[in-house]
Amino acid sequence: MSEKNEILEVRDLRRSFGGVQALRGCSFGVRRGTITALIGPNGAGKTTLVDAVAGARRPQSGRVVFDGHDITGLPCHKVALSGLIRTFQISREYPAMTVLENLMVSPQRQSGERLSTVLLRPSRFRAEERQHLVRAVEVLAEFGLYEKRNDYARDLSGGQKRLLELARAVMADPRLLVLDEPMAGINPALVDRLAEHIVRLRDERGTTFLMVEHNLDVVERLCDEVVVMAVGQTLATGTMAELRANAEVVAAYLTGGVPADVRAQG
Amino acid sequence: MGVVLGYVATLGVYFCVYNIFAFGLNIQFGYAGILDFTVITFMAMGGYMAGVAALGPSQPGSGIYYILGLSLPWPVALLVGAAAAGALGYLVGLIALRRLRSDYLAIVTLAAGSIVLGIVSNSNSLFDGSEGLVGVPQPMNGVLKLTPNAYTVFFLGLCAVIMVICWLVANRIYRSPLGRTMRAIREDLDVAEAYGKRTFRIRMTAMVIGCVIVGIGGVLTIWFVTALAPAGWGTSETFVVWAALIVGGRGNNLGAVVGSFLVAVLFNEATRFIPAISSLPNLIPEVRNMSIGALVILTLWFRPQGVVAERKARFFEVPLRTGSLEPVPMVPAPATGSGAAQ
Repeated sequence: MSEKNEILEVRDLRRSFGGVQALRGCSFGVRRGTITALIGPNGAGKTTLVDAVAGARRPQSGRVVFDGHDITGLPCHKVALSGLIRTFQISREYPAMTVLENLMVSPQRQSGERLSTVLLRPSRFRAEERQHLVRAVEVLAEFGLYEKRNDYARDLSGGQKRLLELARAVMADPRLLVLDEPMAGINPALVDRLAEHIVRLRDERGTTFLMVEHNLDVVERLCDEVVVMAVGQTLATGTMAELRANAEVVAAYLTGGVPADVRAQG
Repeated sequence: MGVVLGYVATLGVYFCVYNIFAFGLNIQFGYAGILDFTVITFMAMGGYMAGVAALGPSQPGSGIYYILGLSLPWPVALLVGAAAAGALGYLVGLIALRRLRSDYLAIVTLAAGSIVLGIVSNSNSLFDGSEGLVGVPQPMNGVLKLTPNAYTVFFLGLCAVIMVICWLVANRIYRSPLGRTMRAIREDLDVAEAYGKRTFRIRMTAMVIGCVIVGIGGVLTIWFVTALAPAGWGTSETFVVWAALIVGGRGNNLGAVVGSFLVAVLFNEATRFIPAISSLPNLIPEVRNMSIGALVILTLWFRPQGVVAERKARFFEVPLRTGSLEPVPMVPAPATGSGAAQ
């Protein structure tokens, strides 16, 4: 694969919290138009990695290159504006806003977010608002949430909140969507539905996905490429079939993820 | 007849002024979730600055000292007061909004208010210390030559017009994408940030706009009373505004109006006219504060959203395009898992 084909490149990322080295030199790439999984035992540093990539935590060293631009250490909102949207491990909808409103917040650089436009030239953002509304209704229909559009987001079921999370991210028109455990805590039927939505978004919109996932069946069915992390490092990359044959990866899962060389260091 | 009219008009003025305070606080707290525990400081800043902008220069021998003394016409003084309150709001926001949220932010605003109160009370050259400003000229009073009661009615009209303008501005912000983003930040700041919202800037916008509106209320207060001293804007006054917003319904400007009427007019101002018992001069103010506190507790207990709850956002209905996707039923998903269901 050529460099050009990679939408995200993570190079030797390091981050520690006090004495805990959460990331100790993490490197991998995500190819454009793929669904790439990030797997690894608990405590491997997956969420820290997602936070570091999305700007929620500054890495202490290393580089994050997104679509040819160095985004290392940029604040969250700037990373988001560059086209990388992340979701959170637990559903974090805007509870006291309606489902439709949750989606209407997402479009970026809305002209109606400027006070001067709101007070002096409201006609300017009304046309834009209408376009966003049409789009939001379409997205809601795609995700089967159209009937719920005027309900408060807090009143949705756990599974519907997961769908809303994804729908809301789609409204932001990301080029790379980083999903932190999108399937956590939902029933198998809904897992299938979410998986189909992810595949559809990749095929129809060309969105690239990087997803942290524990369910290896889902990873095997869904993902083009898998990155394995253990104790803050990337252990291996490849397809699921390749990784199954990799003794180190299997050991990492069985032993809680301490590779032999780290164990030897004590 | 004139007395009754003057009394009703006086209550009306307080009603309008508290409405304006509550609109300002609603933008800060109801929209953007900023716990501004020093609302009244911005009212005072607006009032003082409008006062010193309208008063003539301070006379050296008079024993009353204040800054500026520009003898400006009242509309300009109004703008000076509003701008000063907004500027103070910006300064407090710089400290409070950059890194802090919720309780910690509230503590910083409370501290900032105490600092301002301390400076103003102890500096005789700023706004004449604890004596405060007196004799602030009232708008058009010299021109109209009305009786005091008739002037109060005229002033009520002025307040009502300004109040309605503030209401319209607050509502327009609420319905705009800006207001929506403010509410998203109130709901979850991290998520809004992760969606590319400049949360600091938008919270600052809410802070400053809220302070400007509260400052306008402060200008009206000093015009009406013609005086303002630190004793009139202690911390407890902040909580009258908070009580009004919580009882009325945060996030809803109509709620702010209802709350101002219940708390600020019915409970707070109306009781001022009850004759005091001479042996217990503090009884009535204390009873008033206690009943406002009780009202807040009862509201939070039985109707936490306030008398008028935040309105659900309604959008005009967009029909699904023909040939578009049918809404997918949530359950049950077929065993084959045809979730996309095109």
